[in-house]
Amino acid sequence: MKTLSSSINGGAAVKTVPVTEVDSVCPYCGVGCALTYGVDQAENRILYARGREGAPNASRLCVKGRYGFDYAMHGQRLTRPLIRLEGSYPKGPLSAGVKSSTGAVKAGGIVDYDEVIPHFREAEWDEALEFAAGRLKGIRDTHGGDALAGFGSAKCTNEEAYLFQKLVRTAFGTNNVDHCTRLCHASSVAALLEGIGSAAVTNVVRDVSNADVALLAGCNPTDNHPVAATFIKDAAAGGTKLIVINPRRPKLADYAALYLQIRSGTDVALYNAMMNVIIAEDLIDAEFIANRVAGFEELKAVVAEYTPERAAVITGVPAERIVEAARMYGSAKAALTFWGMGISQSTNGTNNARCLIALTMITGNVGRPGTGLHPLRGQNNVQGASDAGLIPMVYPDYQAVDDPEIQAKFEALWGVKLSPKKGLTVTEIMHEAQEGNIKGMYIMGENPFLSDPDTNKIRTALAALDFLVVQDIFLTETAEFADVILPASSALEKTGTYTNTDRRVQIGRPALHPPGEARQDWELICEIGTRMGYPMHYSGPSEVFDEFAAATDAYATLNYDHLGEFGKWYPCPDPETSEGERIVFDRSFPSGRAKLVPAQALDPDEMPSDDFPLLLNTGRLLEHWHTGVMTRRSEVLHALQPEPFVEIHPTDARNLGVTDGDKVSVTSRRGEIQLQVTVAERSLPGAVFIPMHFREAAANVLTNPAVDPWGKIPEFKVCAVRIARMED
Amino acid sequence: MSAENNTDNNTVTLTIDGKSVTVAQGVTLWEAAREIGIDIPVLCHSPRMRPVGVCRMCVVDIGERVLAAACVRECAEGMTVATGGAEVEGHRRVLSQLLLSDYPDHSRREATTGDDALLELARSQGIVEIPYPEEPAGEGAAADDAAARGEDDSSPVIHVDHQACILCDRCIRACDELQHNDVIGRTGKGYTTRIAFDLDNPMGQSTCVACGECMACCPTGALTDKGLAGIRVERKG
Ligand code: SF4
Repeated sequence: MKTLSSSINGGAAVKTVPVTEVDSVCPYCGVGCALTYGVDQAENRILYARGREGAPNASRLCVKGRYGFDYAMHGQRLTRPLIRLEGSYPKGPLSAGVKSSTGAVKAGGIVDYDEVIPHFREAEWDEALEFAAGRLKGIRDTHGGDALAGFGSAKCTNEEAYLFQKLVRTAFGTNNVDHCTRLCHASSVAALLEGIGSAAVTNVVRDVSNADVALLAGCNPTDNHPVAATFIKDAAAGGTKLIVINPRRPKLADYAALYLQIRSGTDVALYNAMMNVIIAEDLIDAEFIANRVAGFEELKAVVAEYTPERAAVITGVPAERIVEAARMYGSAKAALTFWGMGISQSTNGTNNARCLIALTMITGNVGRPGTGLHPLRGQNNVQGASDAGLIPMVYPDYQAVDDPEIQAKFEALWGVKLSPKKGLTVTEIMHEAQEGNIKGMYIMGENPFLSDPDTNKIRTALAALDFLVVQDIFLTETAEFADVILPASSALEKTGTYTNTDRRVQIGRPALHPPGEARQDWELICEIGTRMGYPMHYSGPSEVFDEFAAATDAYATLNYDHLGEFGKWYPCPDPETSEGERIVFDRSFPSGRAKLVPAQALDPDEMPSDDFPLLLNTGRLLEHWHTGVMTRRSEVLHALQPEPFVEIHPTDARNLGVTDGDKVSVTSRRGEIQLQVTVAERSLPGAVFIPMHFREAAANVLTNPAVDPWGKIPEFKVCAVRIARMED
Repeated sequence: MSAENNTDNNTVTLTIDGKSVTVAQGVTLWEAAREIGIDIPVLCHSPRMRPVGVCRMCVVDIGERVLAAACVRECAEGMTVATGGAEVEGHRRVLSQLLLSDYPDHSRREATTGDDALLELARSQGIVEIPYPEEPAGEGAAADDAAARGEDDSSPVIHVDHQACILCDRCIRACDELQHNDVIGRTGKGYTTRIAFDLDNPMGQSTCVACGECMACCPTGALTDKGLAGIRVERKG
C-alpha cells in the first residue's frame, strides 16, 4: 500500500532558505500593482513576487511584475562612482553600438561593458560628488543657471522627483527641469489643464465595471497596462461595450463591441465626426453643457464641418462605423474614456486630447460612476513625478513658475531667489545642448539616448555637453557620454511613494540592499545640492514627503502613517477614515466650467512619399520596459522577447519580397536600422510597426523629433520610412 | 436572532455547527461559515473566483439525501448545517486518498513554496496510508495512461506536472475569468483528462502571456514556479 512518505511531502534534494516577505509596489507600469516580495536576505536576492489584494490589482500581476524583478540583482549593477579618464576626452560615445546606430551591434541589447568601463576609473564617493557639484557650480557661476539642466525620472519616487526639481530650481538656479512625461503624456496634460484645470484622471480604471461603454483610444492595455486590461476585459464580459480605436489592432479589439482601424494621425477627424453625429442626433447632455461647459457653440460650429462621410475619407473608417460608434457612445448612460500614446505622441497630440475631452463633456460623461477621463499613465510614477514638479513651467502641483505670487511662496519655502522664467522641455534642452547653450546636465534615471526621437541628433547633443552627471543603476547608453557616473539604487532597494495612473499614492518598501557602495537617489540629490552651496538635509523619505505634500493641495492631507500598506487616492480630505476619492469633479472642475477647445484635422508632420512610402508606428511590448535597461537584464523577460523586429502587413511583405525572419533595413530621413521581419495582419497595408526597446535596432533612430506646439511632445507614432531586403 | 424577527427579506438566517448566522441572500455556505470563523476545507475554491464545486472537499451535511458542496450551495432560511461528523469526514478522507493515490511522490509545490494544499489537507486529516491502487483499474485504463498525463517544461516560467493536477479548474478560471487570456482549457476524457493550453500545445508554444496567475492559483504541484526549483522557502514571522 502506498504511504504518504516524507518524499511526497517534498523531501527531494532541496535547500531550505529562510524568506522574509516585504510588501511593496511593482516597479514597472502605471497600474501600480501591490505585491509582496519573498526575499532571501542572507543572499540579498528576491525569490518570488506575488500579488497583494491592492486597489489597483486585486492580487493580479502581469509577467513583468511577477517575474521581472531580477534586473535589480544583475551582475552589471554599478557599485562604485566612476569618473571619466583623461584619455577618453574629447567626449563621445564609447561603444560601437552607441557610436553608430547601423551595422554590427552585438545582440543581447545591453551596453558592452568591456568596451566602456575601461574609459572610467573608480572613485571614492567624496571625490565623485565634489567633482560633480564643483563642475555644475562652475558652469552656473560662469554662464548662469540657464546653462544647466536636469532630467529627473518617472521611475523614481515622488520624494526623489520633488528633491530633484527643488535642486535644479534652487541650487542650479533655473527651471530647466523635465522628465519623460514630456515623451508620453505632455499633450494630454496640456489639454486637460486647459480644459478642466487638472491633469490627473477623473476616475479609476476599475470603475470601468460601472460603464455601459468604454472608449479605448490609441492605447494597448493588454501589453502596456496588463492588469488594468484584465479589469477592462472583466467589464466587457459583464456587458460593458468596448469601442476600440487604434491603427494597429490591439488584443482588446477581440473583446470589443466595435473596433475602428483608423489611419495613423487622423484622430481629430474621427472624434470630430463622432461629435458631429452626437450633436446632430441630439445625443448630447444639454443640462450638463448648460451648467458645466463653456465653448459649446464654437465646438459645434467646427465639428459641423466634419460629417462622417468627410471623416471616412480622412480616417479610412467607413462612415457607418463612425456613426455606430457615435451612437453607442452618445446613448450610453455612463461612458468612460481611456487613452494612451496613440493620442498623445503626435504633433497633434494636444488637439487629439482636446477632442476626447470635448466628447466626454458634451455627453456629460464625467463625475459619475462609470464615466470619466482616463489618460492611462505609462511609468509607475509618471503621475507623481509630474505632481512633484518635474516640469519646466510649474512647481509642485502644477503651480506656474511665472506667477509672481506663487514664486514668492516657493521662495519663502525654499529660502532662495527663484528664476521667474519658464524652463526648457526635454526636446528643447537637447536642442540647446547641441547648440552649446546648455553646458551642464544632471540626468537621474533616464536614458534619453534611446528614449528621445532622432538618436543621431541626441548623440551630438550629449557629446557637446561640457559636463554631464548620470545617476543610474546600470551603465546606460546615455552614461557613455558622462563625466561622472553615480551608482544609485533600484526601486526594489528604496523607500518612497509612487502615484499610479488612478492617482493612488502607495509606499514602495525596500526588498534588497543596494549593491556595493551604491547609494539612495534622494541622498545623492541632497549631496549635490549641499555641495553646491544649497544645504539639503532630511532624516529620510517620509520627511521629504511631508515637505512636498505641504506645498500642494492634492497631497496636503497625506503622510506615511495613513498611506500604510495599501495607499490612498488623492484628493483624500479625510485620510483617517477614507480611501480617498475614486471619482472626482462630480459638481465642478478646478477651472470652474470645462472649456471646450475645437480642433481642426491636420496631417502628421511627415507623410509617406515616393522615397519613404511606408508609415512607421512605434510602441511597446508586454515583456519589455521602454529602453530595455531593466527588462533586457531580466532572464525571463529577455527569454520571452529577445530580439527586435519590424512588423509588416502581408501585402507589403509580398511587395517587398520578404517573409518572417528575413533581415531588412528600415530607413527614414534621419537614419537607418537593420532588423528582422515579422509578418502580421495587425496594421493596415502601408503601415509598419517597430517596438522601441531594442538598442541594436533602435526605433528612435528613425522617429521624427517634430513636436506638438502645446505639449512639446515628439511625434513618435508617425514617420515615413522605406524598407529594403538585405542579402544574407 | 429568531426567524420571526428576520423580516428583512434580503437576508437569510441559518445554523452552522450550532451557531446562528444571518447573511445576505446569495451568500454560499462556505462564505457564511467563514464569517463565523469556521474554515471548511476546500481545494477547487478560492474567494477570488467563481465557485464551481468540482473537488467536493467542502461537502457538508444539510440534512438532505446527499451531502452538499458548501462552496456553491447558497444559504437558505432556517437551514441547519453540519460541517463535520462521521459521514462528512469519511467522505473527505476517501476523496483525499483517491486524489493522493496517483499523486506524484514529489510535489514541486511542497518542495518550493511548501504550501501544497492537497498534502496539507492530508496531514490535517492524519492520512498516512492510501488504500487505493496507483494506476487506474478496469477496462480501457491502460497502464501507460498515468505516464501519458506527463509533464511540460516548455514555458520559461512555469513547470507543468499533469500528474499532480487534480482538475480543480482553478488555473482555468484564473486564466479565463481573472486575466481573461483564455489560454487554458481541458482536453481528453476519463482518466486521461488534462488541462491544456490552446489546442493542446505545449505551454511555451501556446498564446500564454506568462502572467503566472494560473501558477499563483494552483493548489497542488501541477503548476509551479520554475525560478524556485531547488529552493524550499521557509517564511519567517
Ligand atoms: S500591470 Fe504594471 S504594475 Fe501590474 S504587475 Fe504588470 S507591470 Fe507591474
